Amino acid sequence: MDAAAEQKYDYGVVRWFTVMAVVYLVVGALVGVYIASELAWPFLNFDSPYLSFGRLRPLHTNAVIFAFGGCVLMATSFYSVQRTCATRLWSSKMAWFTFVGWNLIIVSAVITLPLGLTSAKEYAELEWPIDIAIAVVWLTYMFNFIMTIAQRKTSHIYVSNWFFLGMMVMITYLHVVNSLAIPVGMFKSYSIFSGVQDAMIQWWWGHNAVGFYLTAGFLGIMYYFVPKQAGRPVYSYRLSVIHFWGLMFGYVWLGAHHLQYTALPDWTGSLGAAISLAMIIPSWGGAVNGMMTLSGAWDKLRTDYVLRFLIMSLAFYAMSTFEGPVMSIKTVNALSHYTDWTIGHVHSGALGWVAMVAIGAIYHLMTRLFHTELWSIKLVNAHFWTATIGTVVYIVAMWVSGIMQGLMWRAYDEYGTLAYTFAESVEAMHPYYAMRAVGGGIFLLGAVLMLFNILMTVKKASSEGSLQRARTAAVATA
Amino acid sequence: MNSLGDYFHTDWAAMTPTDWFGTIVTVVIFLLLVGLFVYVFRPKNRERLEANKHIPLDDDETVISGDKNGG
Repeated sequence: MDAAAEQKYDYGVVRWFTVMAVVYLVVGALVGVYIASELAWPFLNFDSPYLSFGRLRPLHTNAVIFAFGGCVLMATSFYSVQRTCATRLWSSKMAWFTFVGWNLIIVSAVITLPLGLTSAKEYAELEWPIDIAIAVVWLTYMFNFIMTIAQRKTSHIYVSNWFFLGMMVMITYLHVVNSLAIPVGMFKSYSIFSGVQDAMIQWWWGHNAVGFYLTAGFLGIMYYFVPKQAGRPVYSYRLSVIHFWGLMFGYVWLGAHHLQYTALPDWTGSLGAAISLAMIIPSWGGAVNGMMTLSGAWDKLRTDYVLRFLIMSLAFYAMSTFEGPVMSIKTVNALSHYTDWTIGHVHSGALGWVAMVAIGAIYHLMTRLFHTELWSIKLVNAHFWTATIGTVVYIVAMWVSGIMQGLMWRAYDEYGTLAYTFAESVEAMHPYYAMRAVGGGIFLLGAVLMLFNILMTVKKASSEGSLQRARTAAVATA
Repeated sequence: MNSLGDYFHTDWAAMTPTDWFGTIVTVVIFLLLVGLFVYVFRPKNRERLEANKHIPLDDDETVISGDKNGG
């Protein structure tokens, strides 16, 4: 069976994307914990501009979103499109180009961001030469994916591929428009948009990076890996169709809810909030669809630690897709905006949903790609609990801190003057900043355990010769 | 803003081509989504659509129970 899989599918590049994803998870989380610690204990920046929060924060977001998230998406989409289309990748060489190109982009981010070379657009900080490289590499990824679907041996295109493809099309469009800029030097450019239009384009990109990259792409992972790991078909295929189209047409409206009470026309923010609330319907439909896949087989959660990651991720997905629309309502936004509540919300989605579903998929992939069992099941279990507890500690700290911040900033005394100075609100947040760093540290510990387990699994496969045997047998039968 | 009429009042004469483009696209997408709902939840389409949910499990892979990863 292993030889047949090696012969039928192209797993080489998938293996590299999978292992590199775990490396970037550790690096990204490490930088995150460091900058969280800087906020709690500012001496940690050591008066070095290269270690300052302003420069390392985009390094953290780029590492976790584009390095870790990108490698996970490319590994899982290249793997599942082959399995669901019963065909090999259209071009192995192009897939390797995508791998090398994507990793070179990551290296260039690691060099330029600490040097302070940035376009200053959130989640799109990289300067124009790197933006062009991203567009080229992303297009090769998409083209290879589309051509693999085009040569499929099955009649129907499974829903996970729809989600992956929707992400690829929309991210191409969003990245190109948001990155339109006039270069004034090799490492400096200015956006072609200005004023409130620039802000609107920025958040049209910013929220859709969440909606299409971190949601649609990872739902593609969910729709393939939850049924595979559970050994049961998805609960409702019809619901998945509604989920897909609802998400595709709904998400693009939401960006304006990031700009409530700004120079953006009032109706635009209201529209963004209204559609945000409507998005609860497809989002919860999808979450329920994933969880109900286990209907009648919930006992699997007692013994299958990989499945626990996948199902827990759906619980966080449901929670954060409810919280987000609530925060977009103007009344709530008046309290929550510019506070740490937003940071807590982002991390309940990023750690709870995105990272957990990705981690579950990676553990699943490791056994299939290296034709062996995981080195340590106990470490997977330990990882599950550290990831879950770390995430909960992080988001609870930010909820408390954020709501407290919002209430302190709007408090007035009997004379109508502000009850607290800004410095007092900063001082009040300190314990929660320390708690956030501890939560992130617990999550990081789990990521380190995962990296160790993954590397030991690769070593185990090498010493057992399982991968080599499968490859040799594949060549012999070819 | 005293009534729903005031709230929904639209100055149609002031609509620019961009406004009309956006309005038409929005209404068309809304109608397409309504059509999708009807198509997907029509009982006679149920079997055909649900048949596709077995694709990931029909890929010649030995079904590995969750026990391998924890039991």
